[in-house]
Amino acid sequence: MPETNHEITLDSALTEEAVLSTYRRMFAALARDSGAVVDDPALVDIAETLFAAFAEAGEEWLTHEQMRHVCRAYPLDRFENRLRVLRGLGAIREVFPKPNQLRYRASFTSVVGLMFIRRMMDDGGQSEMHRLLALEDLNVADPRTTMEEARASAQNLSRAFRLWALELITLTGGTIEELREQAPKLWGTEEIARRAQSLHGTILTRWPDLDRTCTELRAAIYSYSDASRRAAGRLADSAGTTRNLTLLPAETWRTFAQTASKERLASVLDGFVFDAPAPWHDPAAIVRAVDESPRPAPAQPTPPRSALPDPGTADTHDPGTGGLDHLAAVAEAALAGRSTARLEELLTADGEWVSARRLLADLVSADLRPDSPYRLRWSDGLTADPGGEPAWLSHGHLERTGGAG
Amino acid sequence: MPADPRHTSPTTSPAHDRVVATGTAHERAAGSADAESSGMAHVRARAGGPLTLAAGEAAPAGMARLGRGDGTGLALPVWPDGATPSLLEEYQVAPVAVERSGETRRVLAAALRCCWTDLASDPWPGTPARVDDVLSAYRALIGRGDDLMRNWAVGALRRLHDSAWLEVADGLVRLGPRCASWPAASHAQLRELMRRLPTGEEVPGGLEVLPVAEPLDDAEAGAAVTIPEEVDEDLLGPFDERRRAEVVAAFMAVEHAAEPVHEARFPALRDPVLRRTLAEMLERRGRVLIHDRDAWISGYAPETLTGTRTGTGTGTGAGSGAGTGSGSALGESERAVLVLVLIHSVAIPRADGLLPADSWLSPFPAQVDELRRHTRLPIGELDAALRTLRHAGLVTQVKAGEEAGGYVPGPQFHRLTPQARRHLQEELILAAGPHTPLAAAVRANRR
Repeated sequence: MPETNHEITLDSALTEEAVLSTYRRMFAALARDSGAVVDDPALVDIAETLFAAFAEAGEEWLTHEQMRHVCRAYPLDRFENRLRVLRGLGAIREVFPKPNQLRYRASFTSVVGLMFIRRMMDDGGQSEMHRLLALEDLNVADPRTTMEEARASAQNLSRAFRLWALELITLTGGTIEELREQAPKLWGTEEIARRAQSLHGTILTRWPDLDRTCTELRAAIYSYSDASRRAAGRLADSAGTTRNLTLLPAETWRTFAQTASKERLASVLDGFVFDAPAPWHDPAAIVRAVDESPRPAPAQPTPPRSALPDPGTADTHDPGTGGLDHLAAVAEAALAGRSTARLEELLTADGEWVSARRLLADLVSADLRPDSPYRLRWSDGLTADPGGEPAWLSHGHLERTGGAG
Repeated sequence: MPADPRHTSPTTSPAHDRVVATGTAHERAAGSADAESSGMAHVRARAGGPLTLAAGEAAPAGMARLGRGDGTGLALPVWPDGATPSLLEEYQVAPVAVERSGETRRVLAAALRCCWTDLASDPWPGTPARVDDVLSAYRALIGRGDDLMRNWAVGALRRLHDSAWLEVADGLVRLGPRCASWPAASHAQLRELMRRLPTGEEVPGGLEVLPVAEPLDDAEAGAAVTIPEEVDEDLLGPFDERRRAEVVAAFMAVEHAAEPVHEARFPALRDPVLRRTLAEMLERRGRVLIHDRDAWISGYAPETLTGTRTGTGTGTGAGSGAGTGSGSALGESERAVLVLVLIHSVAIPRADGLLPADSWLSPFPAQVDELRRHTRLPIGELDAALRTLRHAGLVTQVKAGEEAGGYVPGPQFHRLTPQARRHLQEELILAAGPHTPLAAAVRANRR
C-alpha cells in the first residue's frame, strides 16, 4: 500500500521518522554519504514487493515490464528510481551480463538483509542478539573453532554490549518521554544477560588464555545489565500510578490474561483491601420503595357479586309474579273497593310530590304489565296549580278490568 | 439481659432493649495501642462486614455491640452524632448505587414484615422466618407471583445477605446486624409500614419441615444493642453546632459517596482546621483522605494495609476475618476476575496509548465475551464473581446495544490511595512480565 494514499497525520509522520532513523542507523556503516539512505519508508516496500515477485517467478526471472506490473501500485518515477538504485548496488542484476538484457534476477543476500532489517524494526535487535548469542554458543562449543575465532567473537560481543549499554545510559539521562518510548526496545531481558554469561563461561573454560578478553566481555555484560536496570528504575520512579503499564506491550497483557491460572491472577490482589458491599437502606427509602412498587392491574376486574347465596340456574321458565303482588296491593289500596278512581284525586291526596310520584310509578307499572288487571285511562283534562304540589296534573282514571280482585 | 458483664453498668430503657454504655471515657483513656487495634477493627468491619465478638468481649471503640442472648455478639461501626448515610441526600451527593434498589428494599420490607414480630421492641434481632414465608409476603406486597419475580426476590435476598442486612441460611431468614443501625427515631416509620403491609397467604403444610427454628428463638431472647453514648466527642466537642455538623457531613460524604466529593459543597473540606479534625476522625478508623484537585474521598490508610497484609487475624481477636461470615471478603475467583477486568480495561488500553489519565478508572470495558472465551476461568465461576464484584462496586457494568458492553473498574477504585494505585501497577507488572527489567526494578525498589 503506497504511503501517499494515507492522510498524513502527526502520528504517522512520527512513525515514519522512527522507521527511517532505524534504516539510517543500520546502514550508517555502509553509506557513502549521509543522504544515501531512503527518505520514504515506501521505497523499502517497493523493494520488498519486487523480491517477493522474484521469489514467485522462479527460473524465468522477471522482465522490466513484469517488475513494473507487480509494482503498479507505486508511482512510476519512484519505481524507476528504486530499480536504478537496486541495480546499481547489485541487489537486482541482469540474468546474463550482456547489453540489452531484458530479464533480471534478484540477489539472495539482499533478501536476507531485508528480512533482517524488518526484524530489527520490531524489537530494536533484541531477538537478533538472542540468535547471535545462541549461534556463538554453538560455535565456541564446536571442536573445530580456534582460539582466534573465539577471541574475535568475544570482542564483538563485548563491543555490542558496551554500545547497547551506552545508549541506554544516555537515554536514562534524557527526557522521560524518550526513555519511555525507546527503552523497551533497548533494554534486555534477564535471558540475554544469562546467555551472554554462559557464553563467556564456555569461552573461559575452554581457552583460559583468553581471560583478558573475557574480563572485558564480563564487564560489558554487567554494565549492560546495570544500564537496563537503571533505565527501568528511572521509569518506575517517574511513572505515576498506572503509566508504567505502557511499558509492557499489549500482547504481553493479553497473553497473561489468557493463559494465567486463577491462582496467579488472584495473587495480584493479595493484600489489597476493598470495601464489603454496604449499601444503606434508609427507612424512608424502604417505605418509598414499597409505595412505588409496580402493581400490575388485574387483566379483568371481577364483576361485583351479590352477598346472598346464589341458588344457581332454574330448571324451568317461570314468568313469576315478581312485584305483581305489590302492584296489586297498591292499586287496590288506591281503588279502595271502587272499580274506578280518579287519578287527580289519588295523586293530590298526600299533597306531596315525593309520595305521589311513587304511587304514580307503581300505577304506571301496573298499567304496563299485561298480566295485571289495572289500567290507566288518561283524559284531556289538566289542572294547573302554581302554588300546589304537584303544580300541574293530567286527569285520568284508574280502573279494574276483567274479573280480578 | 445485658450480655456483657465487663461493660460498665448499663441502664436499660423499658421501651426498647436499647442499652447506652457509659464507657466512652474509659475507652478514650485506653491508650494508643488500643486506638490502633480499634482502627484495625474498623478496617476489618469495613472490608468484611460486621465483626463477631466472643462472649463477654466489648465492642471496639466507636462501634455498637449487638449482644446475642448467649453472650456473644457483633460489632458494627457507629456514625458520629447519629448521622446515617441518608445525610448524603441533603447534600445532593450520590451514594454508592444500590443494585435494583427498589426490589431489594421491597424484599427487605417483606423480610421485616415476617421477622419483626414484636413491633413494640426494636427490629433487631427479631425472630427467624422461613424463606418461603418471606417470599410469599413479598408476593403479597407486589401482587404478582410468577417465577421471574421469585428469581429476582431470591437474588435480592442474596444481596441483602451479602451486605449483612439479612442473614439467610438453612431456609431461614433472620434480620442482619445492619438492621440495628437504623436510628431509633426512624423505627416509627417502619412500624407504620409494617402495619399496612399485607401478610403472605398461608402456605398450607410445610411448617413441620423446619424444626430448627425453635432453639434459635431462645437464643435471640436476651439480645441487646449497646450503642456508645458518644462517638468522637473529644474531637467534635470543641466546635459549635454548625461546624460540628459540617465536619460530620463531610465525614459521611467522603466515607459513603460513590465518587470524590467537591470541596465547594463541604466547608469542612475547604477549611484546613476542620479538615484536620476530619482526618483525625478518619485516622481512628484506619482511613485517610484522598484528594484529587478539589475533590475528596476516603480510603484505607497505607499503614493499615500493610497491617492487614502481614498480620491478618493476629489483631485483638475481635472476630478475625470476615465478621458474620457473610462472604463479603473477596474470594480467589473474584480477585482473579477483577484482575482480568483491570488488564482489559486499563492495562491494554494504556499499552495501546488510549488512556490519557493516570487513574485506575477507564472508559474501555472488558468485553464479557473476551472474559468468557479467552480466559481459563469457568463461565459459571466468572459470572458469579462478576455479580459479587458488581454488588461491591468493584466493577461497573457498561451496556452498549444488544450484545456489546462489558465491565469497567467500579467506584471503589476512586478510593485507592496513590500508594495503593502504584502498588497495584507494580503487582500487575510483576505478574504479567516477571522477567522484564521493569519487574527487576520493582523488586529492587522494594528491597
